[in-house]
Amino acid sequence: MTEIDPHHRPSLAPRVRLQIDTVRQEPVLLYPEGLLVLSPTAHEIVRRCDGHTSIESIVRSLGDEFDATEEILRQDVLETLADLQQRNLIVLDP
Amino acid sequence: MTPRPYALLAELTYRCPLHCPYCSNPATHTGGEELSLDEWTRVFAEAAALGVLHLGLSGGEPLARRDLPKLVTAARQVGLYTNLITSGVGLDANRARELQAAGLDSVQISFQSDDPAQGNTIAGSKAHDAKLKAVRLVHDHGLALSLNVVIHRLNIDRLPQIIAFAESLRPERLELANVQYHGWALRNRNQLLPTREQAQTALLVAQKAQARLKGKMDVVYVLPDYLQDRPKPCMQGWGRHYLTVNPAGDVLPCPNAGSIPDLVFENIRQGSLASIWNESANFNRFRGTEWMPVPCRDCPQREIDFGGCRCQAALLTGQAAATDPVCALSPDREIVDRILDHAWRTEPDDGLVFRQNPQAVLS
Repeated sequence: MTEIDPHHRPSLAPRVRLQIDTVRQEPVLLYPEGLLVLSPTAHEIVRRCDGHTSIESIVRSLGDEFDATEEILRQDVLETLADLQQRNLIVLDP
Repeated sequence: MTPRPYALLAELTYRCPLHCPYCSNPATHTGGEELSLDEWTRVFAEAAALGVLHLGLSGGEPLARRDLPKLVTAARQVGLYTNLITSGVGLDANRARELQAAGLDSVQISFQSDDPAQGNTIAGSKAHDAKLKAVRLVHDHGLALSLNVVIHRLNIDRLPQIIAFAESLRPERLELANVQYHGWALRNRNQLLPTREQAQTALLVAQKAQARLKGKMDVVYVLPDYLQDRPKPCMQGWGRHYLTVNPAGDVLPCPNAGSIPDLVFENIRQGSLASIWNESANFNRFRGTEWMPVPCRDCPQREIDFGGCRCQAALLTGQAAATDPVCALSPDREIVDRILDHAWRTEPDDGLVFRQNPQAVLS
């Protein structure tokens, strides 16, 4: 499995759709066999995974919005993306 | 509080060009008039309003519905994630284009084997090449692809070859599902149940593939539940996350619930999906843990496996509220052991009954 690198430009896997569940008022990732409810933090990360933005840029962009050090944000982003990669829900474009 | 459902399985038709002897469709169904496009459109809208996010378009063979692209459009208009569960037979470039344009999210194609001759034998139809063509069309149209292979005594020894074959077709996901014994599969149980040695070998093969393909291709392995000592968490609990609407509009907690004697399910033509989900006696009958008998009632697993499968309990013990007899703690486990003993003394190719289409169905 590819090791995640801050230069990667992640995107959702082709079968995966990000959607707001309007009935339960929460963000979800939908895919053929089910769904994953996202935490607010995970949602902020996932909605930036457009295949153009590097992980490093995602961290910086979150830093503009959230009151946390870049180091903590970087750790959050890498952990969240590693989890999604394990589930085969994201693609890491070089 | 009544839970809200996440996923709807829409069985659009029981018509199918294949005759797989493990089909879970009811073997006694006589057809009946299929729901119309307008009726399904209403069902999808009511499902979305109830909290459903995920739609499986299934059958029978859903491609047998000429209005399938319109059904996909209706589902997407109310925001449902739409997955087509198909044999692949009947997909051509024109329909693939229409489905893609309608917003179909993903396609799951079934294979019976990696080996064309065995695949065609099990399907009771020369379907293997048509499936390969369908896989190409799915890729050509940029649709996400899952593959499903139902596993049983006749093909379980080929699992390494089946996995290699599946990899060559580049799906995002591979589901290897041991047969569940309902519908037509029940009639062929003696021929389809794998031996214990086969099941043990297959599990190791599947686990090795899961580890090797992690992050590349999702490999799901559904265990042969008669050979386990704990039951499957059927539907993640009755009336909890899932509901099924069958071709005639009956609303069911699972596709096989119609097999439970004495339960008569409500029909979408007589009531709203919300009222059936929330209020019908049958949806409430096995919700939560109140209904459970001993040993489930006091079991630490009760919110993990939910007492197993109600259809299986009814089928094997005659009591839908019994503990699933697959469970080693069930007082009825010996029923399953007797079935296994008997099956293992049956020759695998001894008189398979192939699925037939229901009579007199309309689209």
